[in-house]
Amino acid sequence: MKLSGVLTRKVRGFRVIDLAAMLVLLALALTVYAFKTSAGRERTDITDIETQIHDESRQVRLLQAQVVRLESPDRLERLASQSGQAPVSARQEVAPDALATVAAAPALTPASHP
Amino acid sequence: MTVADVFAGPLSPIGRWLYKRLWWVEHGYERARASESAEGDTRLRIFFVLGLFGAGFVALGLGATKAALFSPYGHGVELTAPAANARADLTDRNGQVLALDVPRFGLYVDPREMAFPDRVRAALLQAVPTIAPEKLARFLAGDRREYVIGDLTPETQAAIHALALPGVSFEEETGRDYPLQRFAAHVIGFSSRDGFGISGAEKAFDNQIRAAGGRTPVALSIDLRVQGALEGELARADAEFQPDDSVGLVVNVRTGEILAMASLPTFDPNTVTGFDRNTMTNHAAATVYEPGSVMKVFTVAMGLDAGVATPDKIFDVATPLVVGSQTIHDLEHGPGTLTLREVFTHSSNIGAARLGLMAGPDVMNRYFRAFGLFDAAPSELLESARPLTPQKLTDNAVASMSFGHAIAVSPLALATGMSAILNGGVYRPLTLRRLDPGQAPATGHRVIQETTSLTMLSLMRQNVLEGTGTQADEIGLRVGGKTGTATKLVHGHYVVGKNAANLASFAAIFPTDGPIGADRYLVLIMLDAPKANAADKGVTTAAFTAAPTAGRVIDRIAPFVGVRRVITASDLAPKPAPTAATSGANEQ
Repeated sequence: MKLSGVLTRKVRGFRVIDLAAMLVLLALALTVYAFKTSAGRERTDITDIETQIHDESRQVRLLQAQVVRLESPDRLERLASQSGQAPVSARQEVAPDALATVAAAPALTPASHP
Repeated sequence: MTVADVFAGPLSPIGRWLYKRLWWVEHGYERARASESAEGDTRLRIFFVLGLFGAGFVALGLGATKAALFSPYGHGVELTAPAANARADLTDRNGQVLALDVPRFGLYVDPREMAFPDRVRAALLQAVPTIAPEKLARFLAGDRREYVIGDLTPETQAAIHALALPGVSFEEETGRDYPLQRFAAHVIGFSSRDGFGISGAEKAFDNQIRAAGGRTPVALSIDLRVQGALEGELARADAEFQPDDSVGLVVNVRTGEILAMASLPTFDPNTVTGFDRNTMTNHAAATVYEPGSVMKVFTVAMGLDAGVATPDKIFDVATPLVVGSQTIHDLEHGPGTLTLREVFTHSSNIGAARLGLMAGPDVMNRYFRAFGLFDAAPSELLESARPLTPQKLTDNAVASMSFGHAIAVSPLALATGMSAILNGGVYRPLTLRRLDPGQAPATGHRVIQETTSLTMLSLMRQNVLEGTGTQADEIGLRVGGKTGTATKLVHGHYVVGKNAANLASFAAIFPTDGPIGADRYLVLIMLDAPKANAADKGVTTAAFTAAPTAGRVIDRIAPFVGVRRVITASDLAPKPAPTAATSGANEQ
């Protein structure tokens, strides 16, 4: 069929090309509507999530500050000394290559510990 | 008038061309009819317009697709701008948070929405006792919305919200929190409510902190673990000797990074009101002290580097040295002569003064200026204080400065100069900025030779093994150091005596062995006017106060800075009892 035939052919008084254009237009309108509706829902979800992120971020900041407070070196030192903890004495340290010597030495009684 | 009329006259070539074009357009329809193509042209125009619309739809579709697929939403990019007063987090060198922005709330009242303002007033004052009652009463008597108080925590905000008070509302704001409270307060500093740094690192790095806009943390050179050990031991010395104030510094002398800086008494940056000036002052940077015999490190380094003396040169210390109007004594006489090594380990004022006089004012001026003792310490901290120095280097001034009198410098300046002596001889400003791994330190400039630096490390080690610094020796850590017990000026006179006020200081360096370019750590402890107690037998010299404090700090921080112990049999042998000379008696 020639191009001019496609353009001039009529069905019940309507040209086929007009009907086709109408259908395309309708499809486009429906598609745009569907996408916009979907985008609107997405936008609402995004706003909700952003609000949640904002709230969570606030909580995270507050918790971070709380963690730093709890891990403050002076607080830990106070707690450690209250429970009788102290660093290991340097006299109790031994280098790995001296372990054999220590193992061969007679066992120390508790009273003989430095 | 027609187009033909306009162009009726003589025309230029351009005019003729335009005339033809216009006429061609004007007669376009007649030409189409003549050639029987009018219908085809109309269709062509319809298709053309259709094509244009189609292209427009396609463009819109592509734009919509791009917006949908490449939108910043959901891709981790925050769309909300940071608050105007937002500041970046301050962290230590390992990423531990020192200061951070946290959500806070501002409280507003609007009396127009209240039926019973008195009830609201009573409820608010009970919930937030820090609200000024008069101010609140004034606002409630007004006729507009007013800002009552800010910096409310979310808990307080929720508690007030639960009261369901009419006319009371909140607005979110950003507040600065210092969760470590009094810990490391001076070095961290604090900022104002509107987000500007006021003191400490908050002021020193204000531009960087504000430019980061609350997103990228700013890392300091401070190591929180080292800071903890320093402050812990300084607090212990504070409780034991009750000095007026005390200072501690830990510095990597190779890089110039300050790992810890402490000043007591301290304050809480979260609530800066109510602290006196002495408490708010960072004595490590903003106060100058006459350092006393710690200064002999500079004098001896100068003498050795300038070729004035060798470590074995003999000095006559048998009789007091008279210089101008002053007579310089050593309280503990001992032998009549001392080598320069012994002058250092016995902390002989006479010996140090003789060395200073041998060098002379010109040499002393050159070296002490190079050590940075005549200027404020170059530092990011704006509170770095200028020293007090003699107007003219007379013999009297030279002799006095040789053992740390007649000059007052900040502990920061002292540590900067001493780092140059102990790092191989390069003077570089100390910094609170963390160097990245592998990053070269500031270039600096050479002030003494490497050999002099090595000799000074050896002398300081010897002083800890058998001199005034024995109380600072820690097993296997090869500690060196120099004590200083500076008598203090009272009404213009130095007061000498067992219970006289003094400044007890100890400058320690560890490890003293290894290559000259290795990492080495300076620990400076200063106790201003320590009080005698039974534990130290009533002696307040640095040998019994500052030196053991420095030793304990070193013992605790060695694992954090990666210094391994090298324990030998001699380390485990009992230490000899201190003599009068090694107790720092000469320093008074």
